[in-house]
This record gives sequence, C-alpha cells and structure tokens, in this order.
Amino acid sequence: MELQGPLMNQTKPNPGLFKRNPPIAGEAEAIERAKNGDPDAFSKLYALHKRRVYTLCLRMLGNVSEAEDMTQEAFLHLFRKLGSFRGESAFSTWLHRLTVNLVLMHLRKKGLNLVSLEETINPAEEDAPKRDFGSRDPQLAGSVDRVTLERAVSSLPPGYRMVFLLHDVEGFEHNEIATMLECSTGNSKSQLHKARLKLRELLRQPEQLAAVTAIATEVMQ
Amino acid sequence: MSEEAGIDFKNMTPASFEEQLPDLFASAEGKLSNDPRLAEFFASNPDCAALVRDFETIAETAKSLFEPTHEPSDSVWSSIASKLKTESQDPAVDLSE
Repeated sequence: MELQGPLMNQTKPNPGLFKRNPPIAGEAEAIERAKNGDPDAFSKLYALHKRRVYTLCLRMLGNVSEAEDMTQEAFLHLFRKLGSFRGESAFSTWLHRLTVNLVLMHLRKKGLNLVSLEETINPAEEDAPKRDFGSRDPQLAGSVDRVTLERAVSSLPPGYRMVFLLHDVEGFEHNEIATMLECSTGNSKSQLHKARLKLRELLRQPEQLAAVTAIATEVMQ
Repeated sequence: MSEEAGIDFKNMTPASFEEQLPDLFASAEGKLSNDPRLAEFFASNPDCAALVRDFETIAETAKSLFEPTHEPSDSVWSSIASKLKTESQDPAVDLSE
C-alpha cells in the first residue's frame, strides 16, 4: 500500500496539533536511531505511540481485528517512510495523518463511501439527526462524561463519526479533512454539524444511547 | 472577508441561524456562545442558545478523547517485528500489501 500525493505531504504545521502533541522525552533520539535501522529504536517508537494509533484506528473502524491490522500497517509504513520525516510537524501529528490516510484507503477499498453529498443532503432517516429547533427538549446538563461521549460517538453513522473524530477529537481543520476525505470543505462542516446534532440527541436520551451502543458493541466483537 | 460576512445578525431567524451554524462554528474565535453579535439573538431564541452551548460542551469533552484508552494486543508488535526482520534481511521483499 503506497500513500501518494497530498496524503503524505507535510502541509503547513497546524499550531493546534503541535499544542496537543508536545514532544515526548526520548522520542527525537529514537527517531534518529530508527532512521539508521536500530531495531530497539523502532520498538521504542512503537511503545510510545501504539496506544494512540490503535485507539484512533479502533474509533475509525469500530472493529478490534481491523484496528489491529491497520495499527500494524501504520507502523510498518512508518518505519519504511521514517527517512522522509523532516520534523516540520510534530512526529505524532505526522504519524496520525499517515494512520488516518491508511485507514481511509482501507475503507475505500472496502467500498465505504465516507462522506457522500447525497448522505449529507438526504441521510438515511434512522441515522439523521432530528431537526428540533423551537422545541423544548432538555439541554445537556452542562457537562458530558468522556465514557458516555465515547459510547455515543461509536454509534454514529460512519460519515458523521469520521468527520467528528478528525475535527473534534484529532484536531484537524476542515480543509485538511476535505483533502483526506476527498470532499468539499462545506461538506466537512455540514457533516460535523450533523454529527454534533446526532450526538446531542443521543446524549439527551440515555435509553436510546444504551440501545444503539448495545448494537454497536455486538458489531465490534 | 469572513465567511459570515453576509449574515444579518439583527433579523436572523432560527432557521437561517441553523443554516449558518456550521460556518459560524468553523470561523468562531473563542466560544460562539459568547459572541456579542449573537447576544441579542440568543436572548430571544433560548433554544438556539442551548444548542450552541451543548455543541460547545460536546466539542470540549471530545478533546479529552484525544488521550488513548485502548491498547493493541501483544501479537501486533510480534507481527511487526517479524515483518521488519524479514524486510531487513531481504530488502527486495515488498511487505506493503
């Protein structure tokens, strides 16, 4: 599997991602040693980043087996391409972008249309967030716990989930997401909006969330 | 020019607000709920204000998901190490597929 074109470009560093990806002690040295083929340094880089890469894959794919396969693929790709890492962005930012693009390529190979304009305009009725402006539904209590949100995110339709993860969790900008998903910036914004509406709906209705996450858990296993 | 330059904040309806919301969020500097241009609108449309606050809560909590919560099984590294070893012994072997 070969990443080409914009997928592997080192675009303008995103200050937000630098902020969220501060350098890790021992990482720079391990990168240099790994570039020279030191197997212990590879092992160190894997140990430093395996959880984050795997968590990202698992959230994007929703399947343990596929997530492990893509984690393996991401690190093999990383080790082969490490020589091209020039330190213009945080190493973990570079690794995350590489991982996201590999997962997206994997999903496209499986025939999953990640963000279709049609879905944005006319989503499946059961998946679409309800338009409830003007209603008097209760608002969120002012805070949402992380575990509940994680469960809600896992139950989102793939197109919504992908954009939400890339923007609100991973910190990518809409123009970066548009490039990765091969859609328009407007489509990325629209998908994010619908993802948040759907999450709000789920978070306000614990019984609905429990039902959909039970289904999602079955699919993951 | 900002993307929301054409918005009539004074005469906005809940429907037109919803239409503009993705762009408003994308271009917001700081919290949209604190945007002074929207203060009057939010005061007369509390449901829209509640929606924005909820979106902000969701986005804020989402940042905490950045920290990893899952760990791959040990077999993942075993497999990577094995493939790297094979590759280093025979660089002609293409492991990319």
